[in-house]
Amino acid sequence: MSRKSFPYKATGGEQRDLSQPGYYAGYSTMAQKKNWEEATRTLVTKRVEQTLAIRFFSQEQAALLAAVVDRVMPQDDRTEGRTIPILSILDERLHKNSLNGFRYEDMPPDQEAYKLAIQAIEEMAQERFRESFPDLSVHRQELILKSLHDGKPEPENSIWQRMPVHRFWAMLMEDCITAYYSHPWAWDEIGFGGPAYPRGYMRLENGLPEPWEKDEQRSEWNAPVDSLSELEEDSAPPEHGSLHGHGGSH
Amino acid sequence: MPHRLGPMQTLPSPMRRFKENETVDYCIVGVGSAGGVLVQRLARAGFRVVGLEAGPFWDTEKDWVSDEKGSYELYWNDLRITGGTHPLALGANNSGKGVGGGSVHWAAFAPRFHPSDFRVYSEDGVGVDWPMSYWDLKPYYELLEREIPVAGPAWFPWGDPHGHPYGPHPLGGVGDVLVRGCTNLGIRSVAGGPVAILSASHGDRPHCIYRGFCIQGCKVGAKASTLITHVPDAISHGAEIRAHAMASRVSLREDGRVDGVFYFDREGKEHFQRSRAVIVSGYAIETPRLLLNSACPGHRHGLANSSGTLGKYLMAQAGDVVAGRFEELIRLYKAPPAHALSEEFYETDPRRGFARGFAVQTVGPLPVAFAKQMVAAIGAWGWGMRRVMMDYNHWATLGVLGEILPWEENRVELAEEKDRHGLPVAKVTFTLHDNDKKLIEFGKNKVMEIMWAAGAKQVVQESRFAHLVGASRMGSDPSTSVVDKFGRTHDIPNLFVCDGSILPTQGSANPGLTIQALAARTADYLIKQGDNIFFSNRRDLTEPGIRYDLSPPYTKFKGNPRIA
Repeated sequence: MSRKSFPYKATGGEQRDLSQPGYYAGYSTMAQKKNWEEATRTLVTKRVEQTLAIRFFSQEQAALLAAVVDRVMPQDDRTEGRTIPILSILDERLHKNSLNGFRYEDMPPDQEAYKLAIQAIEEMAQERFRESFPDLSVHRQELILKSLHDGKPEPENSIWQRMPVHRFWAMLMEDCITAYYSHPWAWDEIGFGGPAYPRGYMRLENGLPEPWEKDEQRSEWNAPVDSLSELEEDSAPPEHGSLHGHGGSH
Repeated sequence: MPHRLGPMQTLPSPMRRFKENETVDYCIVGVGSAGGVLVQRLARAGFRVVGLEAGPFWDTEKDWVSDEKGSYELYWNDLRITGGTHPLALGANNSGKGVGGGSVHWAAFAPRFHPSDFRVYSEDGVGVDWPMSYWDLKPYYELLEREIPVAGPAWFPWGDPHGHPYGPHPLGGVGDVLVRGCTNLGIRSVAGGPVAILSASHGDRPHCIYRGFCIQGCKVGAKASTLITHVPDAISHGAEIRAHAMASRVSLREDGRVDGVFYFDREGKEHFQRSRAVIVSGYAIETPRLLLNSACPGHRHGLANSSGTLGKYLMAQAGDVVAGRFEELIRLYKAPPAHALSEEFYETDPRRGFARGFAVQTVGPLPVAFAKQMVAAIGAWGWGMRRVMMDYNHWATLGVLGEILPWEENRVELAEEKDRHGLPVAKVTFTLHDNDKKLIEFGKNKVMEIMWAAGAKQVVQESRFAHLVGASRMGSDPSTSVVDKFGRTHDIPNLFVCDGSILPTQGSANPGLTIQALAARTADYLIKQGDNIFFSNRRDLTEPGIRYDLSPPYTKFKGNPRIA
C-alpha cells in the first residue's frame, strides 16, 4: 500500500478512516437511486460496484502512477472501503485508447504521453533523491509533482523538452478529477444532487436543499503538514489558459 | 420497444429506406442543427432526402444518462490535431456526433444576432459584411423561435428588441447572482431565457424539470435538439436518416456537378449514395475536412475552393468563465446552465479601444467540469482540489461570450494523421489577434466586476473558448468566399454548404438559433428553385419568400409577443 499523510481537524486530531469526508454528513446520492431512471441507475451502480483490472500499464508503471495519483487526488482521509478508483479508470481509457476529441500538435498521443511521463518522474526521483518515486516520502513525492504543476520540472528532464509539462499536467489532472468527481461518493462529499431525472428539482434559488438533500455543516480542516498541494492565497492562473476539453458551458 | 425520444415522444416507424442504388434528390451530410432542419423542410416539400450522420441515432431513454462521464458518446471524440498560439479545445467543448449533432449538447441559449452583426465591416471597419441583412433573416428567427420553441422574457431589449413565444423560466442561484451583480452596477439583464428549453409542455414534449444536465443531452425532451424538434417530422414525411454513415468524399462528375457522396458504414464498408444535389452540414471542422478530402482533378485544393478560402476564417467565441465564491450556498447544479444574460456590452463602444463586444451569460458546470475549471483558474490539485470542491455549492459561474474576429490564419487543414477509415483528420490552427485580446481582457474584467458586485468573496477566472463557426464562409465575391448567401458553393451549382461554417462573422450571440434560421431560409430557397437546382447552372439570387406551411407540428397559433 502506498504512503499516507493525513489532514487534521482545526480542533485537533487526524482526519482518517472517514466513510464520508466533506460537510454533508448523512447525505447519500446512492440512497436516491430508486428515483433515477434505469439507464442512469445501471451506469452509476456499475461504477460503484465494478473493479477493473490494470491492462494498459505494466506492473511497475502502475505502481509509480498509483503513487502519483495518490498525491494528485489524495484520499488518505477516506477509509479503505470507501476510496474512489482512479488509476483503473485511467488505465481503461488508455487501454481502449478513448480520446477526448483532439490532441495538441506539440503533444504525443495520450498513451505515449503517460508512458513518457512515468519514465520522466522516475528519473527525476532517482536523480534528486536516489530512490524510486513510490518509495519516496509523501513530501518528496510532492516536491517533484509540485515542480510539474508549476511548469518547472526540478530536476530538469529531457522528456519535458519533448512534451510540454503543463499539457501533461492538465491531462493528468483531467483524468484524475473525471474519475473522482464522477463517483457518487464524491457527490456525497461535495453535496451535489446527482442524477435528478425524472424527479427534477424544486428549490432553485437561495441554495436550499431538496427534501432529500442535506444542509451544509461546515468544519475546519487543514492539509497534512508535509503537503504542498494546499490552495495558495494568490494562486495565479496558469499562463496557458484553458487546457481542457470540458463540456461546452455556453 | 419503440425508439424513444424523451418520455412521451417516439420515432415514427417504419422509417423509409432508400435502396442502395437509388438516386435521391438531396443527400445531406450531417444531421445536426442545420441538417435536421434541412431534412425536415425538404422532405415536407416532397423531395427524396437522405441524411447521412456519422454518429448514432439516439434512443434517449436507453442511450442518455443523467451523468457527466456517462455522456462521453455525445461528442466528436475522434482524433483532431489542434494548434496555433491559442489552440482550441475540441471534443466535448464544441463538437457533437449523432443525430441532432451539437444541438444535443448545446446549453440552448437562443439569442438572435444583432442587426449590426451583419455589417461589421461597414460599421466598424473590421471583419467582413454578410451578403444579407438582419432583416432578411428576421422572419426566420421568429419562425424558429416558435418551432423549437424559445422561452424567454417578453421584452428582450438589445439588438432588434423582441419577445419570446414561451414564458421565462424561474431563476436559479446562478441567474440570481447575474441579476444581482448587474443590478448593483446599473447594467440591464434579463432572466429566464432566451433559451430553447420548454417552460410549458409543447405537443409531445414535457416542460423542464430543472435538473441541470442540459449539456449531457436532455432526457426530459424539454431542451430543443433537431433530434426531437425536426427529425421526427422529417421521417413522417419520407426522409431517411442513415446513422453511423461517415462521409468520406463528395463525388464530382466530369461536367462539374456533384452526383453523390461516398461514405463508410459502421462496419467500415464503403458505399455510394447517388443524389441530384448535395448539402454539406458537418459544422465548422468536418465540413471543410470533407471538402478538402474530396479534392480531385480540377479541384486540387478541395471541392469548391477556387477562392482558396475553404477552411479559413474559422472562429470561436471567447468563453472565459468567471467563478465567484459566496458565503451563502448557491447550488449551481440546479436550473438550466443557460438562463440569464446581459447584452449591454454587445455593440462597439469606441471608448473601450476595440471593435465589437461581448455578452455576459450564466453557466452551470457540474462537478467534473467545475473541477477542471479550478485546475485552469487556480491551479488546484491535491488537497487544494479536495478543499475547493468541498465548496462546490458555494460557487457561481458566469461566462463571457465575446466576438473574436475572422482571421485568415485561423483555419482547418488536413493533418498527416488518418482516422480508422484512412481519411486524413482535421488540423485546427487558432491564434488571437490584438482586437480579440483587448476584447477578452475587458470582457473578463467586466464579468469579474459583476461577480464582485453580486457579493462574491473570491473571484477567479479561466480563459477558454466556446462554439465554432466559419471556415466555409458565405459572401458575394467568389474570390473571397466559399458559398453565396443561400449556401450554394460558388464553384459547383448543385453543391451546398449549410451549417455554422458559412458564418462570415459571429457576433456575441450563441450561434445555434442563427444556424437553424439560416437552414430554414436555405430550404425555402431550394424549394422555390425546384428542379433548377438539379438541372440548371444558372444562379438565381432572388429572395425565396418565407414559407409558413412547412413547420413541424405544434408551431401554428404560437406567437412572438412584442411589448413595446
